[in-house]
Amino acid sequence: MKVFVIDVAKCTGCYSCQLACKNEHVGKDWTPYAKPQPKTGHFWMKINETEHGSIPKVKVEYRPMLCMHCDDANCIKAAKDGAVYRRDDGLVIIDPEKAKGQKQLVEACPYGAIYWNEELNIPQKCTGCAHLVDEGEVPRCVDACVHEAIKFGEEEELADLIAEAEVVQPELGLRPRVYYLNLPGFFVAGDVYDPISDEIIEGAEITLKNKQTGESWTTKSDDFGDFWFKRLKSGQYSLDIKVKGYKPVQLSDIAVDKSVNVGSLSLERE
Amino acid sequence: MSEKNSKGIKTYYKSTGFCSFGIGSEAAQIDVKDGKILRIRPLRYDSKYDTSKIRKWKITARGKTFEPYNKTPLGPFSYVYENRVYSPNRILYPLKRVDWDPEGERNPQNRGKSKFVRISWDEAAELIAKEIKRVCEKYGPTAVLVQGDGHGETKAVHGPHGCQLALMDLLGGCTVQARQPDSWEGWYWGAKHVWGQDPVGQGRQANLVKDISENTTMMLFWGCDPETTPLGWGGMSASRLCFWFRELGIKIVSICPDLNYAAAVHADKWIPVLPNTDAALQLAIAYTWITEDLYDKEYVATHTYGFEEFKKYVLGEEDGIAKTPKWAEKICGVPARIIKALARKWAKETVAIGHCNGGSYIRSCYATEPGRLEVLLLAMQGLGKPGTGQLKFFEWQLFGLHEQNPLPRSEVLPSVEGAYRGAILQPPEKGQFIPKTLIPKAILSDEPISWYGVTLAGLPKEDQFNEYRYPEVGCSEIHMIWSDTPCWSVCWNGGNKWIEALRSPKIECVVMQHPWLENDCLFADIILPINTKFEEEDISVDIFNGNYNLVLYEGQCIEPLGESKSDYEAVAEVAKKLGLYEQYTQSKTVKEWIKNGFEKSGISDRISYEEWLEKGYYIVPPAEDWENDEPGFSPFYKDPENNPLDTPTGKIEFYATGLAKHFPDDEERPPVPHWIPYGESHQESLQHPRSEKYPFLIVSNHPRWRVHAQLDDVPWLREIPTCKVKGPDGYLYEPVWINSVDAKNLGVKTGDVVKIFNDRGWVLGGAYVTERIMPGVVYQDHGARLDLIEPGESDRSGSNNLICPTNTTSKNCAGEVTSGYLVGVEKVDVEELKKEYPEVFNRPYDARYGVDQAAWIIGGDE
Repeated sequence: MKVFVIDVAKCTGCYSCQLACKNEHVGKDWTPYAKPQPKTGHFWMKINETEHGSIPKVKVEYRPMLCMHCDDANCIKAAKDGAVYRRDDGLVIIDPEKAKGQKQLVEACPYGAIYWNEELNIPQKCTGCAHLVDEGEVPRCVDACVHEAIKFGEEEELADLIAEAEVVQPELGLRPRVYYLNLPGFFVAGDVYDPISDEIIEGAEITLKNKQTGESWTTKSDDFGDFWFKRLKSGQYSLDIKVKGYKPVQLSDIAVDKSVNVGSLSLERE
Repeated sequence: MSEKNSKGIKTYYKSTGFCSFGIGSEAAQIDVKDGKILRIRPLRYDSKYDTSKIRKWKITARGKTFEPYNKTPLGPFSYVYENRVYSPNRILYPLKRVDWDPEGERNPQNRGKSKFVRISWDEAAELIAKEIKRVCEKYGPTAVLVQGDGHGETKAVHGPHGCQLALMDLLGGCTVQARQPDSWEGWYWGAKHVWGQDPVGQGRQANLVKDISENTTMMLFWGCDPETTPLGWGGMSASRLCFWFRELGIKIVSICPDLNYAAAVHADKWIPVLPNTDAALQLAIAYTWITEDLYDKEYVATHTYGFEEFKKYVLGEEDGIAKTPKWAEKICGVPARIIKALARKWAKETVAIGHCNGGSYIRSCYATEPGRLEVLLLAMQGLGKPGTGQLKFFEWQLFGLHEQNPLPRSEVLPSVEGAYRGAILQPPEKGQFIPKTLIPKAILSDEPISWYGVTLAGLPKEDQFNEYRYPEVGCSEIHMIWSDTPCWSVCWNGGNKWIEALRSPKIECVVMQHPWLENDCLFADIILPINTKFEEEDISVDIFNGNYNLVLYEGQCIEPLGESKSDYEAVAEVAKKLGLYEQYTQSKTVKEWIKNGFEKSGISDRISYEEWLEKGYYIVPPAEDWENDEPGFSPFYKDPENNPLDTPTGKIEFYATGLAKHFPDDEERPPVPHWIPYGESHQESLQHPRSEKYPFLIVSNHPRWRVHAQLDDVPWLREIPTCKVKGPDGYLYEPVWINSVDAKNLGVKTGDVVKIFNDRGWVLGGAYVTERIMPGVVYQDHGARLDLIEPGESDRSGSNNLICPTNTTSKNCAGEVTSGYLVGVEKVDVEELKKEYPEVFNRPYDARYGVDQAAWIIGGDE
């Protein structure tokens, strides 16, 4: 059974996967797997980009999103006349003939991976480039990724990676066959300095605590005075700063529903 | 040559980069079915060869290994190329401006306003030939200006640029537009006087990747975006290097006003700096090193010249201003404590600086100063010692030089020179030349103009001491323009002045040849339809992929669209009318030129012509002994006496003796590099009172989703959120990045339309509120496809080169200034503008492609 494993730490947001997908499908007929994709507006492979933080602690997250080829796919259940089916290799396919007029399929996908083709009156999505896979080739997005951030292959062969990976929206319980590595979550970052000497403070002990779970992490400010806590889940956090010769500082209420730059913190000498 | 497979698919190989000058890259495999492009994929080296038998290079460092990839590292632009081929903006037949009558009224004032009508090839070629003859007889051949240089597709036999030079040569020469080393301005006009380093003033690259892999601990990406600038010629090769360096644990510090695309994913630290204030930052670093005794004094004593003069300036002994971090903080926006931390860290670590050209760092006013200061800082830390140096992330092997290649040296550096029919970067043998940056000034000036240097990339620095003039003795003023490079307005310095020049009554005839109806084409009197490389048979190399050099046979994939011809063939049509066809083609067919190209490519003793044609590509292995190549400045570091630099003293010159001798009183490029906020040529600084009226500095890098002006009509790119911003009117505007603090003050939110303006005009843009740009700065890429509001004044597409400075780098440096200048920004009401300019705002438009041809061609919607 085929799976995709996507390592977002290797994604630079070059969009080659999204564009190669279009190169393969826009205006090209791959019946019985897919009819031509319209010129614009469909993203069978889609890069989602999110900006994290505030100046100068800013990162951009890119996440390639495609049909999740779910084991328990909602679209299969929502389809009439067996218009959506799963191949033996796990790829979920919308039959372009049977799916005619079945607009409900667009809504059925909680991942937003199904698009409506107005001209052809059909729902469409990623086929895993089934027409290429049949010939022993890989999907175009996989071929186009120079950094091999998108891997495609047999579940058993990629088992080691899958063990470390997560799926998007696991709470839906749809058992997606697209796995993600290194999803960045949120960060809390900042920097510390001494306003009297106008110098950064290196080596300050910084502790971040998740107030709900009690989990905590400690790091030291680096030689720019910077500190970063990465891959955090949303929640309420507190931050403690300790460094010899300075009064301790606590930020007791940091709401993390996005990445947070707490800014440049001036420390007062004891 | 490829045979059709069982599915009716025929496969070809083409280079898909956009460097021009016959310098190919992004070799791709093109599948064609039913006469149409089916797909474009990376070229797999093992498609036709057993690659296990081809020598590989391998860099092993810190327990990790870096090797060639098994296919070409194509970037996003290769995958969208078919959109360009089949674009509705393609010019499919010759056109003539409706109110240009060579026998009567020429109406130059209507260029950029009047529409075009279809004419036949015969009529077009006849008209051009007649005009050339008339102009040559009346004024002499130098009255014809040929604009034929880069920024286009990459071809060989078919040019694409400068094919008309060969024809004009047969007529006695012409006026040549000398393409100045754009994007290298600060290196070319500045750094060369510090460390030599012809051809373009950037440091020697040889074997630097191995050296950095083994020794470097920190890299500064200074105004450098390896995820963007190389996309047009190099694809993802630079991106691979970034990951490799990070895998080795090398820390990346990005210093730039914008969180550029590399900083966004690779940087361990982003230091935002106000555009074109890097010189102040650099001086403060030098100040920290000098006052804290953190530099290599022995190296400075043995490898450099004039340090004491520099030290005096840094410490304030020359002008009473010590260049302290606190002093710099106010100028460059980097807190003094961060400057000190950076300086100390730099002194502690083994540091290399990465570059990709472009942006405000090296293409702004007085770019000579940061360009030179960087070299001086490298020198103060012992340039040439293991792991130091200046790495270029692309343009590897440029100018046919192995020394321009930081990766393992190739056994052969192949070229297409035997087939190439386009322009070469050499001063013309006949006629005269004008630096590209000075063309509008030359046309508009009633007096002769003068400047220093031929200005072509690659000329030795001594040429910068020669004065040249226009018109040259015995030469004419320009009265006719023949361009195949119609993007001056949107890629060079002060496009609105160029528009004024194009509409000057002095210019009697403007001929443009191009595949797409865009940019300068709108100002033509006659337009010739050119095809894309997919419609042509040719030869190419790929020398930028970072794996192996390749030589490609490029078969013709599809039939030419409409009546289009290649640039080479288009000029041949004019040659026929002038009775010069045989001389122009040298009686060779395209196939014969390709064979000639193969024979001179450097691989003809390795593979037969027939086998090469059959296979479609040839892989050049790395040289056997590449590992022994001394990296970068290592020879100079080890023995400066026997390996001197190409400077008058043979050393790194803190005090540039050549400049001191030839330009002793030049305050805009003094012998010791200075912080020059403004001066005689430019007043584009927040330190200058002009900033009260225009309070923002604009950053304009090489575009993320275009190659300069190319690719703006690609629907798949225009859908990308950072490519275009949809205005309330549905028009896709060029994004303007505005920091959230400024956006609040301006009352602007994402999706609003804003006007960017200064005393040179105004352009529109779509607000993109972001933390990726520092407050006080806006960012907008250059090269959007012109959509003129008032020609010479305003533009809807956001082509900001129209309003960048007209003056060159500085008084004696004919470089361009296209980033880091003052603008005002305000929100506009599109509905109001629509009322004011109904014709412009109601032009036929398709958001997928931009303005429709019907806006410019009578009957174009048929």
